[in-house]
Amino acid sequence: MAGQAKKLIDAIIEQRAKGSKVLEGVVKTKLILKGIDPKNFTETTPDDPAVIGRLHELMAELR
Amino acid sequence: MKAQSAFSVKIDVNAAVADVRDQLSGCDPIVVLYFASPVYPPERIAAAMAAAFPAAQTFGCSTAGEIVTGRMLTHSVGAMAFGSEAITSAKVEVITDLDHPGYDAFASFERHFGVSMAEMDPSRYVGLILIDGLSRKEELVVDRIGDLTNVNFIGGSAGDDLRFAASHVFANGASHGGAAVLALLEPAVPFSFIKTQSFTPLPRTLTVTRANEPCREVLEFDHKPAAVAYAEALGVPLEEAGAHFLSNPLGILFEGEPFVRSPQRVDGGTMSFYCSVKEGMELSLLQSSDIIADTRRDLESAITEFGKPSVIINFNCILRTLELREKGLTEEYGRLFADVQTVGFSTYGEQFIGHLNQTATMLLLY
Repeated sequence: MAGQAKKLIDAIIEQRAKGSKVLEGVVKTKLILKGIDPKNFTETTPDDPAVIGRLHELMAELR
Repeated sequence: MKAQSAFSVKIDVNAAVADVRDQLSGCDPIVVLYFASPVYPPERIAAAMAAAFPAAQTFGCSTAGEIVTGRMLTHSVGAMAFGSEAITSAKVEVITDLDHPGYDAFASFERHFGVSMAEMDPSRYVGLILIDGLSRKEELVVDRIGDLTNVNFIGGSAGDDLRFAASHVFANGASHGGAAVLALLEPAVPFSFIKTQSFTPLPRTLTVTRANEPCREVLEFDHKPAAVAYAEALGVPLEEAGAHFLSNPLGILFEGEPFVRSPQRVDGGTMSFYCSVKEGMELSLLQSSDIIADTRRDLESAITEFGKPSVIINFNCILRTLELREKGLTEEYGRLFADVQTVGFSTYGEQFIGHLNQTATMLLLY
């Protein structure tokens, strides 16, 4: 499997930024400071269970 | 009244607080934010400030130097009284369990403001964070806050004049160690932020390949002992690496903007940092530039974009302060804030979006 992290990252950014470019930058910065750099994840990036787990936790936290 | 700053260098805690209270006697504050040198016993200054302003919420922390309108000070207490023309409503909470931060304080904020933190409008509300600067829990707390809300929390890590023995946060008459104070504000005026650091990225990156994250240690960059890789990147002998920490820290770059991670010491090949560095992070080597010129530029940029602020709260890294002291520039730095009611302190770390080093984070009220 590949690309799941990118899908989750995109979903988190969309969910948090709600269309605001400013908030989009803030959310990306928060992810980078957590060690998850969105630009390093593409549709072909192999799924890393540790990263996927952290992103699922973040998604749940934001609900 | 919007806001008024005051300070005292009186040695006795009661005399200092009375001095500050007298300078603010014409004010009717709803919030008093203060930063106190560790020369003042923490329990006594917290109690005295609350007693001096019984109608206000009082909060603050201990420092490694104080900043007030037009001045950088030491061995003083600096304060800002905020009236209802500056702040419509405020709620102050203390987090005493830094390993599990967030929920209780946020529940209190939600009850006070009647809106969930997840839904709170970041253009209407702003948070201040003051946290024990020796706790090493800043990332945990700031990340947690950032996970739960879009409201920006900006602040600094409490200091103790470089004694590295104990730092304190204060809230409503009490002093706390190993704790954080969160204040959620609904300003009555527009507000903005400045995050300024005086560094230029160099064309050399180091990727963290092995780290002890809870201890803020990097064991390896690019699969080499961290200190060796750092020295090689700089082109200096290993034994000289430590002498470059202040002028050549590392930074995470986002859209060209550095989020500085400052090395603290070398132990064998391991490098310790003043904030967390995670495995997989790509860090850019940075080169220091002119703190006065860069801060002036960023202040002027904010004024151009938003207008002249009426209040600045300045969280200025102690490493910047030490450089300013060494170069005899503290008076010049203070003068950058001579025309605006200002309060702040020299911090053991700065917070804005994340936990930062060698940076000044500022909240500007207009």
